[in-house]
Order: sequence, then C-alpha cells, then structure tokens
Amino acid sequence: MTEFLISANKPLRRRHASETRFKWMGRIAIAASLGFLVVMLVSILTLGIGAFSRTEIALAVDLGDGDASSKKIVRNALFTSFPEVTSRAERRQLLRLPSADASRELDRQLAENPDLAGQVATLWFTASDDIDQLIKGAIDTDKPQDQRRISDQELAWVTQLQDLGQIRKVFNTGFFTSGDSREPELAGILSALMGSILSLTVCFVLSFPLGIMAAIYLEEFAKKGRWSDFIEVNINNLAAVPSIVFGLLGLSIFLGYFGMPRSSPLVGGLVLALMTLPTIIIAGRSALRGVPPSIREAALGMGATQVQTTLHHVLPLALPGMLTGAIVGMARALGETAPLLMIGMVAFIVDIPTKITDAATSLPVQIFLWADSPERAFLEKTSAAIIVLITLLVAMNLVAIILRKKFERRF
Amino acid sequence: MTQTEISFKGRKRPLETALKAAFFLSSVIAIAATVGIVLSMLFETIRFFEHVSLSEFLFGLKWSPQTAIRADQVGSSGAFGAVPLITGTLLISAIAMVVAAPIGLISAIYLAEYASNRVRGIIKPMLEILAGIPTVVYGFFAALVVAPFLRMTGGQLGLEVASESALAAGLVMGVMIIPLISSLSDDALNAVPNALREASLGLGATKAETIKKVIVPAAIPGISGGFLLAASAAIGETMIVVMAAGLAANLTANPLEAVTTITAQIVALLTGDQEFDSAKTLSAFALGLLLFITTLFLNVIAMRIVNKYREQYD
Amino acid sequence: MSKPPIITARDVNVFYGQKQALNGITLDIPRNKVTSLIGPSGCGKTTFLRSINRMNDLVDICRVTGEIKIEGKDIYDKDVDVVELRAHVGMVFQKPNPFPKSIYDNVIYGPKIHGQIKSKADAQEIVEQSLRRAGLWDEVKDRLHESGTGLSGGQQQRLCIARAIAVSPAVILMDEPASALDPIATAVIEELIDELRKKYTIIIVTHSMQQAARVSQRTAFFHMGDLVESGATKELFTSPQDERTQNYISGRIG
Ligand SMILES: Nc1ncnc2c1ncn2[C@@H]1O[C@H](COP(=O)(O)OP(=O)(O)OP(=O)(O)O)[C@@H](O)[C@H]1O
Ligand SMILES: [Mg+2]
Repeated sequence: MTEFLISANKPLRRRHASETRFKWMGRIAIAASLGFLVVMLVSILTLGIGAFSRTEIALAVDLGDGDASSKKIVRNALFTSFPEVTSRAERRQLLRLPSADASRELDRQLAENPDLAGQVATLWFTASDDIDQLIKGAIDTDKPQDQRRISDQELAWVTQLQDLGQIRKVFNTGFFTSGDSREPELAGILSALMGSILSLTVCFVLSFPLGIMAAIYLEEFAKKGRWSDFIEVNINNLAAVPSIVFGLLGLSIFLGYFGMPRSSPLVGGLVLALMTLPTIIIAGRSALRGVPPSIREAALGMGATQVQTTLHHVLPLALPGMLTGAIVGMARALGETAPLLMIGMVAFIVDIPTKITDAATSLPVQIFLWADSPERAFLEKTSAAIIVLITLLVAMNLVAIILRKKFERRF
Repeated sequence: MTQTEISFKGRKRPLETALKAAFFLSSVIAIAATVGIVLSMLFETIRFFEHVSLSEFLFGLKWSPQTAIRADQVGSSGAFGAVPLITGTLLISAIAMVVAAPIGLISAIYLAEYASNRVRGIIKPMLEILAGIPTVVYGFFAALVVAPFLRMTGGQLGLEVASESALAAGLVMGVMIIPLISSLSDDALNAVPNALREASLGLGATKAETIKKVIVPAAIPGISGGFLLAASAAIGETMIVVMAAGLAANLTANPLEAVTTITAQIVALLTGDQEFDSAKTLSAFALGLLLFITTLFLNVIAMRIVNKYREQYD
Repeated sequence: MSKPPIITARDVNVFYGQKQALNGITLDIPRNKVTSLIGPSGCGKTTFLRSINRMNDLVDICRVTGEIKIEGKDIYDKDVDVVELRAHVGMVFQKPNPFPKSIYDNVIYGPKIHGQIKSKADAQEIVEQSLRRAGLWDEVKDRLHESGTGLSGGQQQRLCIARAIAVSPAVILMDEPASALDPIATAVIEELIDELRKKYTIIIVTHSMQQAARVSQRTAFFHMGDLVESGATKELFTSPQDERTQNYISGRIG
C-alpha cells in the first residue's frame, strides 16, 4: 500500500480540476453581475457629471438707456462684441450663443443689483446648450460642419470669447432650483423632486400606519386559520403583482371612479401606498415576531389587556424594525415609474408643485421623459437626474441600515 | 372592618374595541386592493370585449390598435390580436431567464457553499444593489449603451440587429432579475440540512460533486420557485421594455429583431390622449388583466412550491 | 501473532479557535476489531472521530496537531487528499441522513463518484452486496427505486451504513449510530456491527456502556479532552485503572 492516500492518481486529479473549474464559474458569474453594475454606474456617472456645471458667457451690456427692453440690451451687447458680424443670418446665429432665457437673467441681475442701472457692465449669462456641450468637450469638432450642431462660425466666436476670458464654467445651481424646460441648459429637477417628495409623503402617511396596524392584527390578534392564511396569501401575491397593474387600478378607480385630479401626487401617492403596503406589512410582522414572547407574557401576567400589551410593550420594541422596513419600501416607491405613467404624472411640468393636488411628475418619470429627448444636452441631464435619484436611494438605504444596526436585538 | 370586594367582571373598554376593529380593517385593505385590481380591470375588459371578440384578442396574429384597417368590422378601429405581444413578452422574458438563471444560480452556489463569511458579507449586499436600482435606469442604459453596442457588434459580425432588439431589452432585464434568483436560490441552498453535506463529503465526494449531485437536487423545489417568481417579474417588467424594446408588434422568435410586449403596449395605449370608451383605450385593460392573471398564476405556484419545500426541512 | 494496528494516533491535539478540545491523545486502533470511544458529553469523542477522516477540515476554526497515521501514512501530510482519505475511512452519523434520492442511488453514489463502476452489472452487484452486508437487502429489494427518506429510522441508518461500505473503506467511523433509534432497531444495528468487523475496522462513539460492552473488543475512555485509559473492553469495564473511569462506569459522572 505504498500509494495509499496520495492524490497522484489520474481520476482524482480530474475530479479536483473539475472542482476548480466549478469554483471559477461561480467567481465569473458574480464578476459578470458586478461588472455590469460597475459599467452601468460609471457610464452614467461620466455622462451625467457635466450637468452639475454650466457654461456662462460674459457680455458687456450697456444699461444706459432705461427704456430699452432687456432683450434688446442683450442683443446689442452681442452685436457690439462682434462688430464684424453684419449679415442677418449670421446675426441670428450670434443671438443663439446665450440661452433663450438671457433677457430674464439680465432682469434678475438688475433686480439684485439696482446700482448697475445707467452703467456699462460686464455680466455673465448662461450659454446655450450647444455652446455648453462644446465647452464640455461633448461635441466632436473634427467632424465636418454639417454633422455637428455647432457651425465653424460659432466655433470661431467661442474661441474668440475664450481667448478674451469671456467664457467660464460655474456650478449649475439651476439644475436643483428650476423645473423642467424645453431648453436643456435651463431644465432642472426641482419640479420632479417636489413631485416625488409630495407623492412619497402621501404614500408614507397612508401606508405606514395601515401597514403597521395590519401587521399587528395578523401577528398579535388574528387566530391562525383559514382567514389569516387567506390574508397572508393575498399580501404575498400583492407584493408580486407587476407595478403597472397598480397604475391601471389608479387610472380606473382613483381617476375614473372617484374623479381625483389627474397627474397629481395625491393619486400617485395612493397608488404607491398600495404597492408599498405589502412590504411594510411583511417587515412589520417580522419585527413583531422578533419581540420575545416573554415580554408579552410579563405584561399579560400583570393584567394588562392584549391591546395594552401590544401598544405599551410590544410595539415600541418592534418599531425600529418596522421603520427600517418602511424606509426600504419608500426607497422602492421612489424609484417606481410605470404606475405613475398610467395616472398621467408624465406631463411637462415647469412650475414647482406645492400641493398634493397640483399637476406633477416624479424624479424617475422626469428621467424617462428626458431620456426620450433628442438633444445631446438632455442626455447629460438624464444621467445627472439618475445620479441624484441613486444618491437619494443610497441615502435612504443607509438610514435604514444605520437604524437596524442601532436597534439590533438587545433582548 | 370592611372586606375588599373582588370582581372578575371585565370593564368595558370601547377604545380598545375600536382599535381592534381598526387593526382588523387595515389587514382587510390587502384584500380590498386585490379586489380593486380585479374589478377595475374586469369592467373595462368586459367593455372591450363588446368591441372585439375574445377569440380575436387571444388568437389574432395582428396588433395595430391605431389604424382603422378593417372598416368592415363594427366598432373596430384597428386589429387587436394579442399574439404578437404575448410572443414578444415571452421572447424577452426567455432571454432574461437565459441570462439570469445560470448566473443567479451559480452566484448563489458560490456564495452559499464556497465564499467565506467575509466575502459573502461584501458580495451579497452588492448584488442587492442591482435589485435596488430603479428600472428606469436599466431602461435608459439598455437604450443608450446596450442596444447600440449590440447593433454595432452585430454589424461587425454581419448580422442585422434592430436598434430596439429583443436581445438588448432581454439582456438588461436578465441582469435586473439576477438578484431575485440568486437570493431565493441562496435561501433554498441554505435550507438543505448540513447532514446531507456531511454525508456526501464523508463518503469522499469533493465539494463540487456534493453540490451538483446532492445539494442542488435537494434544493430544486426552492430554486425552481425562485425561477418562477423571477419569470413573473420579467413578464411584468415595464420600464426596460418601454425604453428599449419599442412598439413594433412583430411576430418573431428572432432575438435580433424588434418586438413589443404587453406592458410596453399598455403604456403606449394609456399615455397621451385617451378617449375613455375607444377600443384602443379599453384594450389596455384587457392586456392588464391578461398580465395580472398570468403573473398571479406564476406567483401562486411559486409560493406553493417554496412553502412546501420549507416545511419539508423544518 | 498480532497484526500491527491500522490506525496510530500520537499526541493529537485539537483546537477550536483558542479552546483546546483534545489534549495529546495517543491511541492505537487495532485492525478488524470494534473500538468504542466512551466518555461524558463534551469530552471530545466526536472531535477525535472526525479528525480521523478529517471532517474537521470543514470547521474553519479547527486546528489539529500531532500525528494520525493510517496504514503508516500520516493523514495530515500535505500530499494527502481528503477525498481519497474519506473513500478509505467511511463515516456513519448520529442521525440517519440518507440523500433525498432512491435507495439505489443512495448506495451507488459513493462508488460512482469514485469511478469504481465500470458497468451496469457492476452497479447492481455493488448495491446488492452492500445492502446485504448492511442487513437491509431483504427489506428493500423490491423498492430499490423508492426514496431513501421513506424508510424507517432504523432502516435509514442501515441504508447509511450500506452507503458507507459500498465504497469498500478500510475503516468505518460511527458517531452514536443508534442514538436516534428504538431498542429493536438498535439491536439490529449492533448485530450488524459485529458482522461487519470481519471485513472492516470500526470505531464507534457511544453513550451507552452496555452497547460498548456488547459490540466492542477495545474501549477508550475520554474525559475533558484527555484519553484517560484504553484497553480490552472487558478489562476496562471490570477493572478500571483510573478513578475517573471507575466513577464514569459506575454512573457517578456523565
Ligand atoms: N465546531 C465547534 N466549534 C467550537 N467548539 C467545538 C466545536 N465542536 C465541538 N466543540 C467543543 O469541543 C469539545 C468537545 O466536543 P465534542 O463534540 O467532540 O464532544 P463529544 O464527546 O462528542 O460530546 P457528546 O457526547 O455530547 O457528543 C466541547 O467542549 C465542544 O464545545
Ligand atoms: Mg459527539
């Protein structure tokens, strides 16, 4: 028995090789998923990061004539900057260097700084989206003129402005403070963000108490039997119903039957609440199950009623777990798009909604809308909105994790 | 001396009674929601079938709700044969499952049987991130990056790939459902009693042999339950197909061509202007009901299997 | 004429993390005999048993020092393959753990993975032989393709024994093989062990001193990680050398 136990023989080596292969398959499978995740996040990040800055053009505006309209002042400032430009067609092109909103920007700056009146001042104006993209390097200037959105003429003007230090990039506050716009350089996410916040508020206010009460009933009061089984099966199924079906429910019942306002965060929140309810109930039940029976027995043994026992002793211990579940549910609701399309929260919203009955969109719907726009600049906005959305989701999940860590079972 | 009186008669507690009723009613909401879903779609669907016959809907091969091509049919404003939508949905879901089933299962096996606790603690949450990313983001990525990439690669190989190919949507959807499959498979594998692992290893089986011949077969019910739930999620997924699969109702099994799905059509039919009574609008509800019934069926079977399996090893 | 022992353990220490579970065990296991390991709960019997086929490798925090030789070969040597080792040293567990497969597939599993099967007839032969040796053949020969989990507890345990001997190991380790069984099934297993001794070396962990006395020729008594004494079963039970052994067999500890 000289070779006893030694792994030199051939079939054994084959078996071990197969083991190694199998292990590598596992590693590759995981790497594939995570690789996809990384590629997706990195490409969105690189696409979107630009939207957080904005290109501005400095123009020397003559504010001497108090009667001239802002629009005219900006025009004149452009024409004096480029006196060699005289043809109508070229002048029209020249007017498209700053954004369409330039005159209103002038009004705003004047209002903030009344001393400017009567002077010749150099003021900064938001550049149009094409110039913005050019400055950010998103336009390939090596291509022939007719294949890009910037003409050679515009290119020359921009170079001239750059040489004179009349072009700069600044942080794009407007992205966070304005609503949607047809002009990419002016479009912001505030209206969508407010829509999301309002919808989520409605969703939370409805689904959290209802979900907790349902969980309490099922865990603490319901007799185990057909009825509670039936409810349970129902809840589990509801959790797996495609989200768009909830949208159809909202469209036909909340809009069609009850006549609630279309496109409103109220209806959006209602639909999201129905979707989130199962998550909250399931999390709530497992939180209640985590409270040891000894605590219930102690309270009941002192003559507390079942309701008292639940409210005074069980619920406080289960609440952090329930809250964690609710936050996770809210995060999912925040990313939900399809059902909101069904109830018309897919409109072009410039004004910032302030009431739950105002017309609104939501952040993911805004992403969907922008993703459909042809302008290169909207591609950047879409990615930036995704960055904001994912940041919010990460933040919510972090809160949930911290909450869970902090209140980890101490009994 | 007075004697203390003892009474065992309970006090009336109206507040508590009210609370208990509230608890009960809250739990009934779940049922109300289900009933609401069914009713909301049922009524509109019945009205839809006043315009279009059930057999045309279920067996018709042509879907074009927009154009009035068959003026001879009363009340019809187009063709409402759902077969191309059903096959499109199945094609994309099948591609997704082909991607997700092996990757999800093998990942779960690696995590459950090979990875150290530390590695598992890092990788599992990272896979869960995939599940937490909103589908609109997947849709955006599919349309912006994956579809053009496939079209380009296909072109280099001499293949004609549609710009809204079923493959692009299916691939991305597959990635989306990987975490669903891997986490349910992971549960199933962990539920297999350790005694079976030891029995096999004690006989001199390698770990891989133990996994392939003992553990996975023992976990098959749980794993297949997970597959069914994932398939149901793929069938009901909306944003990825809306953004990456388009609206061409082609009856094809070629993953390189464009197809459309039930969910994408529902969105197309119901966004924008709607006249509430037109067959076009109503057809969305019929599609919704079809979708609901299909996914409900899959979910119920999946949960049955998973529960039964859990009991087996309890 | 006495044959050399099949297993020799020298100064074996086993640690679970910081905690030492076995302290310098030195023990010889004779060939074709039944050796029983007895001792109070937690004294390290299972630990010792599982270090003989390196099932301890499955526990991350477990560390073994010293030397265990089987047929003169140190099983903790670098060039030893655990897969090969376990093919030679089979194991039967406390709770019967048949695979959720058919009886036939349970028995053939080991030979199959070890590539011991050349033909279908081979397989039939191995299955029948193993089940016969495990005393289960007559009871299951008509239901070989039914699930092994459908058998009674005692039958399941004999199936596990059949499964272990199907790979023709030299040594069979049994960790309280009858503790989950009723007295009648236990008696069947005990008879079987006595029968198996002709072909295999058997090490059995048991909590029942009667069982040790009935089935084993040699006994080793463990106490808190120490091997207190070992010797012929009869002698150890009639004239124990150590006070702790004395106390244990008279029922004062454990
Ligand atoms: N996986 C493990 N991790 C840490 N400690 C362990 C482990 N397994 C066993 N031990 C410890 O090692 C010691 C010996 O355990 P072992 O299981 O070998 O005892 P035993 O004699 O088989 O007991 P019993 O008769 O109860 O089966 C015990 O103190 C036990 O707590
Ligand atoms: Mg033991």
